[in-house]
Amino acid sequence: MIAPASKSDKNLLVHGYLDGELDPAHALELEQALAADPALAAERDSAQALSNLIRDRLAGERAPAGLRSRIDSAVGLPRARPRPTWGMLAAASVLVAVMASGTTWLTVRPPQAETAEMVVADHLRALIAPQPTDVSSTDRHTVKPWFNGRVQQAPKVVDLTREGFPLIGGRVDVIGRVPVPTLVYRHRQHLISLTAVPATSVYAPARRTIAGFNVLEWSDNGVRYWAVSDLGASDLDSFAKAFRAAEPE
Amino acid sequence: MPFWRGAQNDARCVISDKDRFRTVVLPHLDDCYRLARWLTGNRADAEDVVQEACLDAFRGITGFNGSHPRAWVLTIVRHAAYRWLRKNRPAALVVVDDLEALSVPGAQIADSAATPEAALIAQADTARLEGAIAALPVPFRETLVLRDVNGLDYRDIADVTGVPIGTVMSRLARARRRLITTLRTNDP
Repeated sequence: MIAPASKSDKNLLVHGYLDGELDPAHALELEQALAADPALAAERDSAQALSNLIRDRLAGERAPAGLRSRIDSAVGLPRARPRPTWGMLAAASVLVAVMASGTTWLTVRPPQAETAEMVVADHLRALIAPQPTDVSSTDRHTVKPWFNGRVQQAPKVVDLTREGFPLIGGRVDVIGRVPVPTLVYRHRQHLISLTAVPATSVYAPARRTIAGFNVLEWSDNGVRYWAVSDLGASDLDSFAKAFRAAEPE
Repeated sequence: MPFWRGAQNDARCVISDKDRFRTVVLPHLDDCYRLARWLTGNRADAEDVVQEACLDAFRGITGFNGSHPRAWVLTIVRHAAYRWLRKNRPAALVVVDDLEALSVPGAQIADSAATPEAALIAQADTARLEGAIAALPVPFRETLVLRDVNGLDYRDIADVTGVPIGTVMSRLARARRRLITTLRTNDP
């Protein structure tokens, strides 16, 4: 991005700054400009107030229930398909034979990537289910004890409402046949699934994108965490930062 | 069961279009509806646009490469909404004033006695907010909605609307500034 030159450019960049879209160097530069220029700071405050207003009043609107069922039935209708030819049937039987002969041709992925994929699958499943949580509560004193007896170790549960990530509940996911705790947080209209698994080693933070979802993983105090969301990478970073900084009482 | 859990005993190629549609498109139905609602300007037409877009998405699901499903689906919704606009509100797509060329004015600093602009915005009435958004020219309205209602980042907005990221930021700045000016003035 081009360096801000004029006042008008700064008025523009202040929006990129609010949305977390500036690179660190420009963000820093803009922060200095904000401190020095009351008019620019007022623009930031107004834009922030407007974004909050839109989010609070308008962003929660949901598609009517009838729409979903209409789409289901529109798409569920049998489509006109060409009748299978003998050639296609022969090809299909060969495919079945290959599939039945063993699973050796399936891709063998490293266990870490596999876990991340399973975490994304569980997140996706949660988005499609009527509700993304097994226990719905914004109270961490309700959520944490709910995990007792259901998973090997109840996770650290903190409320991050003040940081913009309210807790909405938890659920049990299954990763490689092991039930694991997953906390569900919300940011604007987006859900964040945070899966916590006891770990013996320390893992460096890593970020990847799977099926369009951002996945952030790290480890703290003998627990490995995977955060999955369709939030932008920078918002997910802020979430991870807030979670890691928060101390359970 | 997530779809690829079962797929491990089976083969990935047996995932049907319907299953893909269910996992790629349906999680974003609310986002689709919100975008369509603000592009068409009303909820009943938004439902038709979303339904049409979903059928388009279903037909095109085999060509979807798997990355950024939300941006992909919203792009299809936007196309369907534009088709609807061309048919029903052709005037909305004619850009009268060249907003892109204008520089972005800044906030007005309140006198020490007056209420700061940000405080006036925070108290704005929902109906006035909706009216002000509806009055924005389409390119600005869609950028604002994709960011502040749908919560997309600039890269995804650029993909959906087919403009460079710099244009996304400048449209967003101008759209917000225009709303701020509307909501700040003519207070009852």
